[in-house]
Amino acid sequence: MSSLYECLLRMYPSAHRREYGEEMTAVFCAARAEIERQGAMARGLFWLREVCGLMRGAIEEHVRSRAGSHSRVPLPTGRFTMHSEFRFPKATAILMTLILAGVVLAIEKAQAISASLPHLNPPVGPIQPGHLTFLPPVLLMLAITYAAGLIGWMILFALKRLGVHRLSAMQDPSSRE
Amino acid sequence: MQSLPLTEPVLLIMLSLAGQPRHGYSILKDVEEMSDGRVTLSTGTLYGALRRLLDDGWIERFEEQESSRGRQAYRLTAGGRRNLQTEVSRMKHLTRLASMRVVRKET
Repeated sequence: MSSLYECLLRMYPSAHRREYGEEMTAVFCAARAEIERQGAMARGLFWLREVCGLMRGAIEEHVRSRAGSHSRVPLPTGRFTMHSEFRFPKATAILMTLILAGVVLAIEKAQAISASLPHLNPPVGPIQPGHLTFLPPVLLMLAITYAAGLIGWMILFALKRLGVHRLSAMQDPSSRE
Repeated sequence: MQSLPLTEPVLLIMLSLAGQPRHGYSILKDVEEMSDGRVTLSTGTLYGALRRLLDDGWIERFEEQESSRGRQAYRLTAGGRRNLQTEVSRMKHLTRLASMRVVRKET
């Protein structure tokens, strides 16, 4: 597993790997040895966090090596480093897996029935171009939904930034009185 | 360049080094412990933050004397400690202000 980590480290510039590669691998091995004692969910989250952290770190280091030591990439840091109070319910994952298994089973069953009764279920012919007329409106709807979501996210992000700046600019009323 | 206010992971890394010099894994564990498991750093995030703090001269890297393997450790510089104190003062002020406003609203 540490060899997989070393492979991922190749995303970093070679100078960074020479300087910190060995140290990062040692820290990763120590962290992984501890996580091995925990469940599969914890191990999965650990790997997800590590891969995302390495990808983000590698992008930052490449930008830094090209644009100078004080340049920074405005990538989100919180999503993969911090847990919110909300915990992902394991029951949801189990339920989703069960639903997926049910759907796959139903498809298998339907195929078996269809094969056993060929005269009642004639095969559907090749899809004609006329059948695909619904595709452009669906794609357009998807694009509109995506754009609306993106605009909504940008508005929320701007409001959040504004709120933080207002909060830091607040003056203590007691000092003014 | 590292600017104030600090992000929570960077603040926790600085607080971890404020008590004593530490090596990478020790910082990782201390940050997790200080935040009651809420902040878990990946090695990529940790070393990205350490690299920035080193570049800005807030921390320094040195070889641990006790370690036979020549393990690298990190400690705050005088400038880093000063910046940390500034950040803590800013947070204290903000907390006091927030408490006053909340209490005033409730009464």
